[in-house]
Amino acid sequence: MALNHKRINQLLQRLRSHPYRIYPVETPHTGYLRKILVTEEQEVSAGEGLLVLERERNLKTLRARVGGRVRHLRKDLLGRFLEAGEKVLEIWHPLSQEEAVAEVLRETLVVVRAPETARYLLAPEVETRLLKEKRPLVRPGEELLIMTFMKRETPLRHEGPPMVIFKLFFSPHQVVPAGEPLLGLCLPEEVPYLERVMARIQEEWPES
Amino acid sequence: MSELYQELIDLWERAVYLRDIKGEDFEDILEVVQHLEDLRHRFYEESPAGMRERLRSLHSKIHELEDLAARTLTPYEIVKIVRHPQRFTLLDILENVYDSYTELGGEGEINIDPAVVVARAMISRRVGDRVYLHQVMVIGHEKGHGEEFRQGGSAKPWGNEKALRYMRLAETEGIPIHFYIFTPGAYPIEDYPGAAQQIARNLYTMAKLKVPMVSFISEGGSGGAEAIGLTDFRLMASRGYYSVISPEGAAAIEAKLREGRPPRELVERCARNLRLTAEDNLRLGTVDRIVPEPPLGARRRDYAFFRRLRYEMIRATDEVVLHTRSLRTFRKYLLSRKDGQEELPEEFAIYVNWELSEDEKEVLLENRSRKYREMGRWAVCGEASRLKTFLEKGHDLGTKVFHGLRYGVFRHSQRAFRRMFEELREESSAFLKPVTDPVKSVYNLIAGKKRRPPRVVSLVERLEEPEELYVSPLALEDRTVTCPNAETHGCPDLWVPDLYGEFCGVCPNCGYHFPLEYQWYINNLFDRGSVREFNEGISSGNPLNFEGYAEKLAEARQRTGCNSAMLTFEACIGGLSVIVAMLIADFRQGTVGVAEGEKFIRACDRARITRRPLLALVHTTGGIRIHEGTLGVIQMPRCTMAVREYVDSGGLYLVVYDNNSYAGPVASFLGAAPYQFALRSTRLGFAGPRVIHETTGKPVPPDYHSAENALRRGHIQGIWDRRELRLKLYEALLTMGGPNLYYR
Amino acid sequence: MKHRVLIANRGEIALRIMDACEDLGLEYVAVYTRADEESLHVQRARQKYRISDYRDPNEILAVADEAGCTAIHPGYGFLAEDFRFARRVVKRSSPLIFIGPRWEVIRDLGSKLHVKRLARELEIPVVPGTSEPLYNEIEAEARAEALFAWLSENGEEDPRLLIKAAAGGGGMGIEEVRELDEVRPVFRRVRAYAKRLFGDEGVVIEARLRRFQHLEVQLLGTPKGELVHFGTRNCTIQSPGRQKRIELAPGFDPRFKNYTFDAQALEEEIISHSLKLAEAVEYDSVGTWEWLVTPEGKAYLLEVNTRIQVENEVTARIARIRGKEVNLLREQIRVALGEGLGYVQKDITFEGTALELRLVAEDTERGFRPLSGVIERFTFSEAPWLTVRTHVPRDRSYHIPTEYDPNLALAIIWGRDTQEVLARAREFLGSVVIQGRTARGDPLVTNVPYLQEKLAEVYEFRS
Repeated sequence: MALNHKRINQLLQRLRSHPYRIYPVETPHTGYLRKILVTEEQEVSAGEGLLVLERERNLKTLRARVGGRVRHLRKDLLGRFLEAGEKVLEIWHPLSQEEAVAEVLRETLVVVRAPETARYLLAPEVETRLLKEKRPLVRPGEELLIMTFMKRETPLRHEGPPMVIFKLFFSPHQVVPAGEPLLGLCLPEEVPYLERVMARIQEEWPES
Repeated sequence: MSELYQELIDLWERAVYLRDIKGEDFEDILEVVQHLEDLRHRFYEESPAGMRERLRSLHSKIHELEDLAARTLTPYEIVKIVRHPQRFTLLDILENVYDSYTELGGEGEINIDPAVVVARAMISRRVGDRVYLHQVMVIGHEKGHGEEFRQGGSAKPWGNEKALRYMRLAETEGIPIHFYIFTPGAYPIEDYPGAAQQIARNLYTMAKLKVPMVSFISEGGSGGAEAIGLTDFRLMASRGYYSVISPEGAAAIEAKLREGRPPRELVERCARNLRLTAEDNLRLGTVDRIVPEPPLGARRRDYAFFRRLRYEMIRATDEVVLHTRSLRTFRKYLLSRKDGQEELPEEFAIYVNWELSEDEKEVLLENRSRKYREMGRWAVCGEASRLKTFLEKGHDLGTKVFHGLRYGVFRHSQRAFRRMFEELREESSAFLKPVTDPVKSVYNLIAGKKRRPPRVVSLVERLEEPEELYVSPLALEDRTVTCPNAETHGCPDLWVPDLYGEFCGVCPNCGYHFPLEYQWYINNLFDRGSVREFNEGISSGNPLNFEGYAEKLAEARQRTGCNSAMLTFEACIGGLSVIVAMLIADFRQGTVGVAEGEKFIRACDRARITRRPLLALVHTTGGIRIHEGTLGVIQMPRCTMAVREYVDSGGLYLVVYDNNSYAGPVASFLGAAPYQFALRSTRLGFAGPRVIHETTGKPVPPDYHSAENALRRGHIQGIWDRRELRLKLYEALLTMGGPNLYYR
Repeated sequence: MKHRVLIANRGEIALRIMDACEDLGLEYVAVYTRADEESLHVQRARQKYRISDYRDPNEILAVADEAGCTAIHPGYGFLAEDFRFARRVVKRSSPLIFIGPRWEVIRDLGSKLHVKRLARELEIPVVPGTSEPLYNEIEAEARAEALFAWLSENGEEDPRLLIKAAAGGGGMGIEEVRELDEVRPVFRRVRAYAKRLFGDEGVVIEARLRRFQHLEVQLLGTPKGELVHFGTRNCTIQSPGRQKRIELAPGFDPRFKNYTFDAQALEEEIISHSLKLAEAVEYDSVGTWEWLVTPEGKAYLLEVNTRIQVENEVTARIARIRGKEVNLLREQIRVALGEGLGYVQKDITFEGTALELRLVAEDTERGFRPLSGVIERFTFSEAPWLTVRTHVPRDRSYHIPTEYDPNLALAIIWGRDTQEVLARAREFLGSVVIQGRTARGDPLVTNVPYLQEKLAEVYEFRS
């Protein structure tokens, strides 16, 4: 697959006009929404309490995973029994330079996503090469990652043509929710171009 | 001219000292200081005669003020005297009391720990025309007149380790040790080893060190002081203080402050309540003699005081040595001293050789043991009437004979018999039964199911037996809780009845230990119905008449139904009988005072006499109870002595920590244990995060005191899971310990 | 009182519970996860709640309270055999009816070792081996030696033992040994594994039976103390992961296959043993007693499943109560809500043979790897002898959720005898069409060819 230059440009344009990443805050499980601790448009920092959800007489405070502005707060849900995965508000997180780069890469690279909510680590082979070579080439069938899930370790293998690991989206040994990107890969010949794109974003993006 | 200037400077120093001690609002001290400072600036403008005149009047003024100050000296002012940079330090003593010395293990700033100074020194005595030189080891804290790198005399763990090393050297060389205690407290860090660990090791060694030891206390800051304080004779400076905690620390605790300074008035009151002066300590029996100082404390140039100190150190050492010899020589020695004299004798009537023979060393250790056993014992409340203790002694004597017969005399033949038995059955697997069976029954109990072979038709009824099972009161609630590790480990919410029932308060997913009440341990660790408490009558009292403490005690007693924070009982684990001493959080946060210490010592004795393993189970301990002052502090050497004697007699002393296990007890009789284990939920260390932050100025990482880090630091031997505690204890009882256990 | 049942499960069993509830005139409430939104059980339920996880008791109970339910049906899998869940359902401050056995029964029969000990007490044969966890390798060796001797005496030419973690299950922590010298190292390895994985070092040793038929006895008890059986099933054909793929009722068919032993007598024996154990524990719901039968006609009790089983309908298809067809789910719910049976053992008769095929999206060529993807077409020709249980909609494409079993459908086929049932099964397998793509775009494969091949093996002893 070749990189679509036009798409990248569009992406950059979109990021410039909308330099946010939107994090929906959903109920992790059922329960009564007992309290809303924030107001519309409020700036919150990571770790700040947002909502209090009660299930089986256990009051649980949901905290912001990222900092940003509270939007689309559903005040009408207060006091109601909510199903799992109900969106209560959004956090509009202003992207830093680094995050903007990641955002672009997430859209342009071939992304290996987490198949399960589990802990992931790099395959030892890849890890040593990553240290040595920075952007190592991986061949089809080679072990990329190890997923530790339900006390079992399952290797995740590379599929498709030989590619280089361009970007790590996760921190090893941490729990990654299913569907989140783990690695970004690209064809070896695309590396110089992507590096130029990154440099461009870094130049253009205002230092925060 | 310069003489006059020197006089002025001296006066100025005295005035400043007075101001520092008594505070700026003391009479017109500020004016006097101001006046002197003016004079200093205008020294050359004034005529010498006029200056002399002024100085004379100021001199009498200051003299007057000093008189007044000495008469109105409060305990907190004594603390300030001790902390004043002008006060004499150990190096001053080495210069002035000893005739020559060589510093060992470092010099000045180039030192493993500049707060601890060790020196090989000579001290001389005149008998008639002859001068005798004694070799001694001098070990103590150096405050350094405000030198930053001395940390005010706060010994780091490796400083205390240095002290220990040279104690051993003195033992090898057979020379007495003179200890000088000038410490506000140990430097509260956890390292390799941690502060508590090292203090415990020092105490454990000092309990049986085979040389005479004399200590002199100027600033006795709790655990830090004890690290070099378990000695045969304890002297104390008349303007020194010896306390369980600094008055400021006590005030912060009393006012429940998290940070900031407690109000001065409260600090004053705490200083008074803590009974930290020399007179108080002599009365409490925590020191043996007071070395008089000038009324406002000795300073670095008080040569008369140093002469006095030299005399007292020699005399104390003499007395310790002579105590190991016949009573007659000792009495003769005492008579040789003209009693009641305030004047310092210029010479000694006799020369005493400080070297001890092997027999004398034994006597020395016995004397030391007796000294610490008796120390502060008067303060024990409850049940401890003379008659009762006597009876108990008689009873113990009885059991001693019985157990001696049973396990001592017959032991030899028993062993031989067992060996034969084992050889006979080597080939068949039948002999394994007795070994594996208890393990299995332990497993079954821990697994929460009693599986007796089914006989009755209804299996279900048989398994129920609800009245037999202990149910934690925490479990009686229909709700769920979130495991603190849910975020990182994805733990499901736990239903409280399951969590505190079957799961033993442990998250089944990540192993997080929720705190449990102490009754849970008593009911789940030991064989059903085997727990029998003893000495429950010994109760915490208020020996210092600490304001407000009696009410707190009464409240704790009423709420818990216990008389102290230490429960001592006999119990069985898988059929093995053990003596257990347990500190519980419910009673004053498991702090240790007179009653707790006494009960622990008696538990040690009981375990020793009946040849049973001794288990110290720490549900929580917050340290030494401040309301009992130094009477609490001396429980550190007292209990460590008892532990040492128990272990030396061939027993098995096991310590298991849980929850918060901090400070004095950990730095002594708990930390001294050869086998220490911690439950996963333990926070173990010397000082809490607040104190560490205040002392070191460094932030404390949240897992600083975790069991894992304690294991990393080598403090404990292993981390146990609460669900397996019973099994682990059982295995430990079978595999560890000395030769004198009844089942060995 | 009008009951309302919370169905704490998904897929075809949820649908069957709905059937049973409607049949009994009960209201029901469904739960589902985001991954299951397209599933038929969600489409069909009028009242439903989205939850985060079927395995989370807190979710189930929170919904049950909110929806005003009075009873919970756990189906199979998930929470069905979790005695803590069953206990919590009945012990919480607002208790509900747990449609299943009492929690004590679930707990006691849930432990294989415990079942073994109990069976020995009642003189019910079990697979030879230890009934207490072993912690000591010397003892383990002694036991292994005795078991090897036993196997040789019983004519086993290549005796083997299984060494497994006592607390294990689902094929984890099991190793096979062929000779005594291997026992010690394997024992140590399994013990270490057990310690790491299950937190308990206990290990058990069992004789490995190499050729057997897997039979099970279907029982139904009530809290009032009534107890009947619904004959046996044969579930010998399983995937290598020990998952059943073809089940038949009855358990033996002497007209179809010649046995070296008296099959009818043996069937009666395992039924009576099963009843004896059920009586001892006062079993009070539907349950299955699993047995292994050797070619010599020896039967050993394996384990007890204290739940409704996937294959319950094979039994239901051949059983008649006073001549009428049976629905075991309906019976289970009925007795849990307090009704009596209303019939006795002699009212229960059997007719014909029934067979169940489990259609699974798995790659039987590559280690039975479960597959996910989209099903675009799912058709088969209807027949009066055929029932297909599925949560896969047939009118649109369906994403197979990745979090759950890749079971697509159960086909239950009835025939007057085994020959007829096999012919009809072949006919069904020939007509069924399952088309789709995997996530990578490859055509989706199913186990249909595997099932076709395995039909030849029914009622056979294979190793």
